[in-house]
Amino acid sequence: MATKNYPKKRKVLAIASPGGHWIQLNKICNPLEDRFDMVYVTPGAGYATAAKNSRRVLTITDASADSKHKLIPLAFQLLLIFIKERPTAIISTGAAPGAIAFLIAKALPIKTIWVDSIANVSQISRSGRMVKKHADKVITQWQPLSDGENIIYKGSIL
Amino acid sequence: MIFVAVGTQFPFNRLIEYMDSWAAEHQQEVIAQISDGDYTPKNMKWDRFLDGEQYNQNISEASVFVSHAGMGNIISAREQQTPIIVMNRQFKLGEHRNDHQADGLKWMGKLDGVFTASTQEELNEQLHNIIGSNFSETVCSTTTVGNENLTNYIADFINE
Repeated sequence: MATKNYPKKRKVLAIASPGGHWIQLNKICNPLEDRFDMVYVTPGAGYATAAKNSRRVLTITDASADSKHKLIPLAFQLLLIFIKERPTAIISTGAAPGAIAFLIAKALPIKTIWVDSIANVSQISRSGRMVKKHADKVITQWQPLSDGENIIYKGSIL
Repeated sequence: MIFVAVGTQFPFNRLIEYMDSWAAEHQQEVIAQISDGDYTPKNMKWDRFLDGEQYNQNISEASVFVSHAGMGNIISAREQQTPIIVMNRQFKLGEHRNDHQADGLKWMGKLDGVFTASTQEELNEQLHNIIGSNFSETVCSTTTVGNENLTNYIADFINE
């Protein structure tokens, strides 16, 4: 708990789809928990129980690029979360829900950090390409995909 | 016990069928997580989905973990020091939205304790090799999953 004596930790939202994206997100963000007030956001309701009790996990509508009709309700949910939580930054490893979050955050004073999935070894993911021009930082986990400028490489989770 | 898992997003009937026919010919307990697949195994115990705790317990207890080429399962297998064989979903068979799992096989196979198969023959061969060796005793070392450089870079940017 933040008190008057301690500076309040900055809030960071970590957003990912279930499965590999979610596991990678946790590998990246769990070590940030002592430095930031981390709030996790995912469509996988089942993951909330798997997370440690101290971890806040918000559930959103599941949507992929193949279920476009779900993207609108998802966008509203994310906007409400941003208004309520007022994060300093958002981190996502993908896929579609993270990309939608970044497009909304662009209009708000929120830093956006995209860490492209390690599974995308020959080119940046589809959702990564979607946010490439909008994200404040785009990070690849594969050195050959880095251009040293707009797409950054700082190692991988493995 | 051999644990088979295809993830939660899509079915992967082909892998389940391959493992079901393998199970028919071998005296090994095989447990499968089959997602929404319409092929239901005859020679393996199966569930569509498992909760995280049961899932991790199965990976930990398995002598071999047979999986779709999904990142999550690779990390879990490496953490639990269970050898894993991954088979890629194929876009042209409608098994995934793209062929990134085929790309994945190219680098996943370079990791300790990760083996790859694209066909039924390769899958059977990998199973044969791993079960025939004392693999899990010797090769699967504990791996450090995580990267301080990456974490610090992100933290510094947020604090800028």
